[in-house]
Amino acid sequence: MAGQTRRKFLKRSAVAGGMAVLGPAGVSAAQADTQLCIARWTGNADVPMSEEATKLTEKAIEGLGGMGRFVKKGDVVWIKPNMAWNRAPEFAANTHPDIVGTLVRLCMDAGAKKVKVGDRTCHKAKESYPKSGIEAAAKTAGAEVVYLDDSRFREMALDGERLEKWLVYPEIVESDLVINVPIAKHHAIAKATVCMKNYMGIVGGNRGQWHQALATCLCDITAFMKPTLSVLDATRVLLRNGPTGGNLNDVKRMDTVAAGTDVVALDAFGAELLGNDPSEIESVVAGEKRGLGQMDYRKLAMKELTVA
Amino acid sequence: MSSRTVAKKVIWARRLVQAACLLLFLWLVWYAGVHGSGEPLPVWVNAFFHIDPLILVGTWLASHALPVACLLALVTIAITVLLGRVFCGWVCPLGTVHNMAAWFRRYAKNLRRRTDPWSPWQRAKYLLLVALLVMAAFGSHWIGVFDPLSLLYRTTTTVLAPGTQYAVEDGATAVYQANPQVGPLKATSVTEPSYRFLRDHVFVRERPVFLGATLMTLVFVAIVLLNLYRPRFWCRYVCPLGALLGVCAKRSALRLVEKGSCVECGRCAMQCPAAASPEKPGGWRSMECFGCWNCVAVCHKDAITFGLRAPTKAPPEAQLDISKRAALCAGLTGAGAMVMMRLNPEAQARVYNPALIRPPGALDERGFLKRCVKCGACMRVCPTNALHPTGLEAGLEGIWTPRLVPRLGYCEYNCNLCGQMCPTEAIEPLSIEEKQKVKIGLATFDRARCLPFAYGRTCLICEEHCPTSPKAIYFVSTEVELRDGKKVVLKQPRVDPELCIGCGICESVCVFKDIPAIRVTSANETRHMGNQPILPGPSGSESWMDQSGPDAYGDEGSGSSEDSSDPYS
Repeated sequence: MAGQTRRKFLKRSAVAGGMAVLGPAGVSAAQADTQLCIARWTGNADVPMSEEATKLTEKAIEGLGGMGRFVKKGDVVWIKPNMAWNRAPEFAANTHPDIVGTLVRLCMDAGAKKVKVGDRTCHKAKESYPKSGIEAAAKTAGAEVVYLDDSRFREMALDGERLEKWLVYPEIVESDLVINVPIAKHHAIAKATVCMKNYMGIVGGNRGQWHQALATCLCDITAFMKPTLSVLDATRVLLRNGPTGGNLNDVKRMDTVAAGTDVVALDAFGAELLGNDPSEIESVVAGEKRGLGQMDYRKLAMKELTVA
Repeated sequence: MSSRTVAKKVIWARRLVQAACLLLFLWLVWYAGVHGSGEPLPVWVNAFFHIDPLILVGTWLASHALPVACLLALVTIAITVLLGRVFCGWVCPLGTVHNMAAWFRRYAKNLRRRTDPWSPWQRAKYLLLVALLVMAAFGSHWIGVFDPLSLLYRTTTTVLAPGTQYAVEDGATAVYQANPQVGPLKATSVTEPSYRFLRDHVFVRERPVFLGATLMTLVFVAIVLLNLYRPRFWCRYVCPLGALLGVCAKRSALRLVEKGSCVECGRCAMQCPAAASPEKPGGWRSMECFGCWNCVAVCHKDAITFGLRAPTKAPPEAQLDISKRAALCAGLTGAGAMVMMRLNPEAQARVYNPALIRPPGALDERGFLKRCVKCGACMRVCPTNALHPTGLEAGLEGIWTPRLVPRLGYCEYNCNLCGQMCPTEAIEPLSIEEKQKVKIGLATFDRARCLPFAYGRTCLICEEHCPTSPKAIYFVSTEVELRDGKKVVLKQPRVDPELCIGCGICESVCVFKDIPAIRVTSANETRHMGNQPILPGPSGSESWMDQSGPDAYGDEGSGSSEDSSDPYS
């Protein structure tokens, strides 16, 4: 009897060991190396944006090896969309709500203990969170929507080139994983605002100062955050009058979602979508120089998918 | 059942009604303050102003126009004609506050047995009412300064609510930072969850802070402390709404009736908060009585009760007791006060006060002051804490009316709550689209401070936040020589006066927090032709930019001109 038990035990151990080596089900070694996955919609343009955004997000994450690559069981995940502005989703000033909702769901499915969604907004959070549609989408998907509390920022050592220390939101930094989910937009100073610029939504204080040396400051905060997963919303982008927008004529459909581990590459990709040469985007150039990623995203282990 | 037994039950009913009305009032204030700009405000949100006959009469006298909802106040008048000043005794939330303060006084100072006889000074409120109505008739709506509902709403908005929030938040933060613990027990395990609950479900919005809150506090504390001198001092001597209702109650149908067994013990007078002389046979003052029933409840002899009498005959005791001469003097004082308040250049529109930025949709200044009841409801509902009580920027006439202070908050582009909220439509209820076209001021750069002009640095935070599309703030790339001789190209911002609506978000986000380098003044405000320095563009075009294409944004480096492709091409 004892032998039988031992055999069973060994059998189980072998299966468990194999799973540990291979990673969670469905993740092949090749997928786990993918650094960038671009999902493009080639289906019917009449499909509602929410459906398109959902499918693109699912595919982009899948192409990267699935959410299980980033989320471990019991993790607390912070999703940082851009929901800075009191604008409805169609104006492309904020990340599309269904991208955020889908990411929340994928995190929960991957075993996250808790998924939190929050941003330090530019307009009042009480206005922007609901207007962006993200509050509702995130809550429906099971996330906790966090209104950042101005009195709870803490000064942290960034040890950057320009920013020695700054007020950062502890709850974000203390999460096991921060998923950066920006939308690609025009911006007068940055030219293009994508992933690195989106980190401005986790800091407190008079952050407007950063514009005086934007590229350096963005490198400082990005280096501090050590990005793992970023998901770029380019389902529609804001070509002019960014980052606030407000005119549908300035919005262009791009039907793309890109997920990746390299923020510099994603920023370069986003800048291209907006019609810029990445080498003219200061933060992209500075980011590469700082070793935060690679500007030439085509050289990465990249996947391009079409979704219909 | 003796009248006394009935009265004791009525008193309990009154206390319940009072508590309910005070709570309802506070709940409505709370509701307005946590309402998002996304959905429309329900009409009942300022119900208390709509049942206020003083606002009805005053606003009608001043502006000869009224929102229909204000006619609800006729119900209050009808009730008063029937039942007397029960509004004061049963409904008025400020009256209830005074009631509570007076109650504390009685137990705190053992003044229970002091008799407060009627004082001729109680006539002062009628004279104040006359003065205020004369002022209103000449177009100066100063009634709001004294109207009890305006007063309490304004004080709750600017003092009581922010004060409570401050105490809770700062207290919790202090505990959070000090993190005191006894063994394994942390104080924060209690304070943090309670703090979070209050923050998320009660306060909801960021803590507001209002200019001039100190004065508001002093006024409120003073009128509450006056209860120590005489119970319900405010209601007896000052309140013009009480005076107006008193006039209506002169021949009220519900009257104090003597049953003939009075031994003149004077207990009823001791219990009367209104000093309405219930103890004097035939001397009961219907105009003063709050209908609280205290007197009936304390009468051991069951000598008095309230009963219905036909209101046709004027009872002998109900004398207003104000001489024609006094009334005339009061009227003249009102007219004189109004003239005095207009004796400043701004009131006569010779010049415009740059700091007097009115909320979007506010009528022209004269029309605005004819309607604004200084209730502070717009300040409460404003989601960005941009509206503040005016000090003397609009003269004494406009004290406590709303003004936008862009350093402290901006006018949210997608919001029209203040117009929806205003109980007298001093701020027009505009749709979002209409409101977005209203200019409330104009932004101006201070080139001696603005970083790209003065300090050779990139900034453009103002442009980033500018909400109009195209943006009213644009930039011109200019080559600037720095101290070391190095030349840099800087994006120097400009304001397009055609597009700038004066929302003030630029000023509120400027990196300078002492004196912002971009400031909004009332110049160019839609409501005053006389305050518009800028000749509007050709009609039919929103901006000269629309005609000249994207190049007009500035130079090649402006970003906006880099991708001029039509997104739908």
